[in-house]
Amino acid sequence: MLSNADFVAFALTIRLSLTTMAILIIIGTPIAWWLSQTKSKWRSIIEALIALPLVLPPTVLGFYMLLTLSPDGIIGASLSAMGLPSLAFTFSGLVLGSVIYSLPFVVQPLQTSFASIGQRPLEAASILGAGPLDRFITVALPLSKMGYLTAIVLGFAHTMGEFGVVLMIGGNIPGQTSVLSIAIYDHVESLQYGAAHSLSAILLVLSFAVLLLVYSLNKRVLLLGRS
Amino acid sequence: MINIRINLQKASFHLDADFSVAETGVTGIFGPSGSGKTSLLRVIAGLESQASGLVQVGEAVWQNESSYIPIPQRGIGMVFQEPSLFQHLNVVENLNYGIKRNRITVQSIEFESICELLDLDRLLERNPQTLSGGEKQRVAIARALLSSPMLLLLDEPLSALDKNARENLITYLEKIFQILDIPVFYVSHSSEEIARLADNLILMDGGKVSAFGPIEEVLSRMDSPLIELDEAFSVLECSVHSYNLPHLTSVESCGGGELLHISHITREIGQKVKLRILARDVSLCLSKPTDSSILNILNAEVLDISELKQGSRTVKLSIGGAKLLAKVSDYSAKKLALKPSLRLYAQIKAAALVG
Repeated sequence: MLSNADFVAFALTIRLSLTTMAILIIIGTPIAWWLSQTKSKWRSIIEALIALPLVLPPTVLGFYMLLTLSPDGIIGASLSAMGLPSLAFTFSGLVLGSVIYSLPFVVQPLQTSFASIGQRPLEAASILGAGPLDRFITVALPLSKMGYLTAIVLGFAHTMGEFGVVLMIGGNIPGQTSVLSIAIYDHVESLQYGAAHSLSAILLVLSFAVLLLVYSLNKRVLLLGRS
Repeated sequence: MINIRINLQKASFHLDADFSVAETGVTGIFGPSGSGKTSLLRVIAGLESQASGLVQVGEAVWQNESSYIPIPQRGIGMVFQEPSLFQHLNVVENLNYGIKRNRITVQSIEFESICELLDLDRLLERNPQTLSGGEKQRVAIARALLSSPMLLLLDEPLSALDKNARENLITYLEKIFQILDIPVFYVSHSSEEIARLADNLILMDGGKVSAFGPIEEVLSRMDSPLIELDEAFSVLECSVHSYNLPHLTSVESCGGGELLHISHITREIGQKVKLRILARDVSLCLSKPTDSSILNILNAEVLDISELKQGSRTVKLSIGGAKLLAKVSDYSAKKLALKPSLRLYAQIKAAALVG
């Protein structure tokens, strides 16, 4: 029922979502930690910047990214000056776009979760002899398990469903930038409703399964915390 | 000596503390809420990074104009008002957290002996969520002590507990303080806790230290702001005298030879006890009342009378040499014509056994 191209699109989507999610957890952690601890006046500005993808049409984001990634754009020009290939219409470019697009979905749950720990456990750890990194690893991280679970799932699922940004900066290169949402759009365009149905159903079931997993884990963790 | 000279400006509050106390024993920090007691402890611990000034404990200078030792390197034990155990670790892991990170000194108190002293053996594998308030604070105290601190800071550790748990924990604290050879700062707004536990006293009011020194000295000073407080109190040293009255124990005031009767206690005759008596629980009469329900009527001599504050005066009395404070209205003071060296009778409505 699924064509070979559909399988390629499916595999690409999973690869993109996993890569993006992993990068987001790595860069989102220090950003979220800083936001949850700082009293700096820069905080509101950074928070607003990170939240932008929540309200902007993805095509706007994609358009600006296309401009900066193109050979005349800031990033594109500096890359070609260093002798590196352009990012536009490549998998790497897609990852970069997805990271920006899904950033709030990872940073916000982490920030909320770090903030909800409160200062007291960190102060207690500090008095018991733990330095900043030690405190973060031995106190803040284990107390933020739920935040990480939410961030991982949202980061993954949100990337999986993206369309506008990909369309702008990725185009439709099979195995490179042609992800599930694009493939579905293609099928509908060419009136292949059956194929569109299969892919849409896969996406629907997959998303539901992931969310179901999170919510059932969520309940277990909550119960564990209360016992 | 522990020398503190610090300044802290917060939004609507200014802390300005300057004092020195001995490097031994328990120093009670007493004052009404909002007087800056907790802020003072937090500055000493290093938790208020905006504070300026000097924090010196013995040879160690933790903070002065040019240096600031980070919190983890100060060697402090601290117990907060509300239990602050790590929720993701069980009791024994909580206890080990400080032990593992103690780089400065050798282990000063052994794990086994502290667990025995605080009855923690049954609790070691439990999760903090399953402990009662009193048990949590016992674990928190043990965790602080096991990090081998140079100074132990206790910020109203009993205030989140109910009456029974408080009574229970205070006996544990008395045991601990007997064997501890490091200085302890104990913040409280309860005169009973202070009278029971403290050797030195720091009085705080409006963000300032208004008096400090050995507890007997601070309590008997007439210029001490303590006497203005609603909670003004004195501590009377007595010895157990006899058990002649039903349900009562008679004690004799040291030096004075006056008999007081308190609720039955089980102590040996001749054993020393301390009574805390609130100034507002002491009333004065010129002639000895014979038909009063109040049991404790003592011969007293007026030593001093305080300035008028909010319609009342605090009277310092001598009970055969021992000092006792009484709070009377200005009207009564005039009616009785109170003046130094006047002999009269002090009626004590209530006395709490504090040691």
